[in-house]
Amino acid sequence: MTSSSQVIVVGTGVVGSVIAEHCLDAGLEVLMIEAGPRVSRAQIVENYRNLPLGAKPDATASYPPADWAPHPFHGLEHLESTGPNKYDPTYIRYAGGSTWHWAGTSWRLTPEDMQLRSRYGVGRDWAFDYETLDPYYNMTERKLGICGPADPLDQWPRRDRSMPYPMPHLPLSQGERKFTEVMQTKLGLRNVPVAQARNSGMPYDDRPACCANNNCVPVCPVGAKYDAATSLNRLEAKGATILDNSVVYRVETGEGNRIVAVHYYDRDKTSHRVTGEHFVIACNGVETPRLMLMSADDRNPNGIANSSDQVGRNMMDHPQQGYTFTTTEPYWLGAGPVVNSGIMETSQGDFRRDHAAVYFRLNNFARNRDIAKRAMASGKVGRALDEEIRRLTATSLNVVAAFEMLPDPNNRLTLSAQKDWLGLPRPSVYWDVGDYVRRSSVEYSNPLAQRIAEAVGATDFKPASPEKFSTSKHIMGGTIMGNDAATSVVDRHSRTHDHANLYLPGGGAMASTACGNSTITMTAMAFMAAEALVSEAKGA
Amino acid sequence: MLASAMPSFTFAATQDIESRFMGASQLLVNHDLSPAVGARIAAFAQASYPNLGDMLDRITETAATRGASRVEDFFDAIPEGELRDFAFWVISAWYTGSSSGDRDATLFTYEEALLYQPTIDMVPIPTFGFSAPNAWGNDLYPLTDLPRF
Ligand SMILES: Cc1cc2nc3c(=O)[nH]c(=O)nc-3n(C[C@H](O)[C@H](O)[C@H](O)COP(=O)(O)OP(=O)(O)OC[C@H]3O[C@@H](n4cnc5c(N)ncnc54)[C@H](O)[C@@H]3O)c2cc1C
Ligand code: SF4
Repeated sequence: MTSSSQVIVVGTGVVGSVIAEHCLDAGLEVLMIEAGPRVSRAQIVENYRNLPLGAKPDATASYPPADWAPHPFHGLEHLESTGPNKYDPTYIRYAGGSTWHWAGTSWRLTPEDMQLRSRYGVGRDWAFDYETLDPYYNMTERKLGICGPADPLDQWPRRDRSMPYPMPHLPLSQGERKFTEVMQTKLGLRNVPVAQARNSGMPYDDRPACCANNNCVPVCPVGAKYDAATSLNRLEAKGATILDNSVVYRVETGEGNRIVAVHYYDRDKTSHRVTGEHFVIACNGVETPRLMLMSADDRNPNGIANSSDQVGRNMMDHPQQGYTFTTTEPYWLGAGPVVNSGIMETSQGDFRRDHAAVYFRLNNFARNRDIAKRAMASGKVGRALDEEIRRLTATSLNVVAAFEMLPDPNNRLTLSAQKDWLGLPRPSVYWDVGDYVRRSSVEYSNPLAQRIAEAVGATDFKPASPEKFSTSKHIMGGTIMGNDAATSVVDRHSRTHDHANLYLPGGGAMASTACGNSTITMTAMAFMAAEALVSEAKGA
Repeated sequence: MLASAMPSFTFAATQDIESRFMGASQLLVNHDLSPAVGARIAAFAQASYPNLGDMLDRITETAATRGASRVEDFFDAIPEGELRDFAFWVISAWYTGSSSGDRDATLFTYEEALLYQPTIDMVPIPTFGFSAPNAWGNDLYPLTDLPRF
């Protein structure tokens, strides 16, 4: 069993994989330690197909967790939620991580999104500006294969790009085009093609072109959508060692508070110790802070990297509210990828002083499974039933409002008294989306959603309740980035203020959420961390 | 003797219920129905409805009394209550491919569930390829053009 490596990367999700590859390309020795099993795509596709209709909408149902690597899963207690709102993120502890079931939507932040404090007097500013992040976004778009529009008016953010997208955007279906037209003519809102990690019209990165089969969540059957599992064989070919079914449960410090080793349990609950020179913990925004807190020692009694007491605090997400309505004319959503267009311009403005911004995404999931219950309950039979299924599928639209959220130290991940299968404390999160978001729902988002519904001729719009938000599963904030070691956990390179050779890249480092899905930003930050690690390893 | 006779009796009984189930199904759902899927639904129904055979016969007789082969022509004659509910359940099983809408329901079929057929010209069955790369921008077909299935 490998017991030492120059670079240790814990977690084989997109963040860990990108850093590992950057280190390998720079000639460093890399060991990756992964809690979950390594599975085949065919197995996951079969799991999905064999689910009864009622379980199919659950993005995680095709991924039953291993006993030793539990993740949020129907019927299994893993993540505890306390507080006024329900914190209910899903993520997957399998080799390849949660991009297995992500939608691949890849919105960049805008310069304003990174300066909430100085521009609007709320939240935090980032430790650097958009221009600093821009080259790393370019690297991310190339690494993951992100397609996007060439028309500057359709690009997000709306500013000159320093590099074009590596692939053209995926076509909008006729229904999406009709929606786009209606938004423009009736509301003056621009519904733009989503930048997405999906192969558009061509193979890319040894993966095939998207063929519209509309199953990106929970799994792309052909690998046209990027997920980190698609990169693991390549990492091994470049020299990485990957240990799967190995759950890291302790990070060990030594002289000068440097990290000297990590400890993991294998599936037989046998403990192993692995030493290294540089450590990257990329277990996602829940499991990384959990591991830091679990690893408390005499030098670091509040947990690793936690002299600021900010580890586990400032947990953030994009709280969301969905609107499903029926139109009179057919829109026929469902051909193509599951998310393909959205309205981003509602996410910017001076109003952010008072309430959260919002982004409206037009979901493009095939509607059949969602309307089935309604159609069957109609009491119709024969041709009338077939016509009802056709009508409801063609005319039901699902628009989701995704809100930004402010960092609040009370939204906090702690260790539960409950233990998991390995005897490790389960994560517990106190969750309150906050008045900033609730105000936006009432004053901004609901009225906008109503106008959208009326513009498309909806007959049954219902406003969302300001008390009810679902979780977007974009896990952010728990190891927040900043220049000040007293108020943040990691520096601009995602390196901990407390431990010179420990990096905690990923969503936890994000200082603001904006409204767009955040993995592209996590990955761009991972590239920044990887560059810093490599130059440190090379003694630069 | 009895021991060796039992399996063939059971086999014959199973075959009988399957064909009666398919017969009633064909009256309730006037589309091409897969016997393999029917056998799975019938097996589930047998375990759930002690009077399955009787209910199947009553549905078939109701249609025969009207001289009907299309569901529209006799469904209203199925008495409300247990038999009507069962008839809806059979239709729902063929359309949804599942024994109920619950997440722990039994799956009879995914891709052969009829739910996808009325829209098969416009909407993919998720996980199955739908078009050539970037070629799914087809016209908005009218609601009235029901595909044949
Ligand atoms: C249904 C769904 C849809 C989504 N859609 C989008 C989208 O469209 N766009 C977008 O930007 N984001 C989306 N996301 C979010 C996206 O999936 C995550 O942001 C992203 O996967 C995070 O990457 P990561 O590498 O930080 O973490 P993960 O992908 O979660 O990877 C972490 C890895 O660490 C491993 N690990 C965890 N604990 C340990 C341990 N103790 N020891 C060893 N290994 C460990 C895990 O097994 C896993 O492999 C979606 C998420 C979900 C659930
Ligand atoms: S539409 Fe189909 S082929 Fe394209 S990314 Fe989604 S699942 Fe993969």
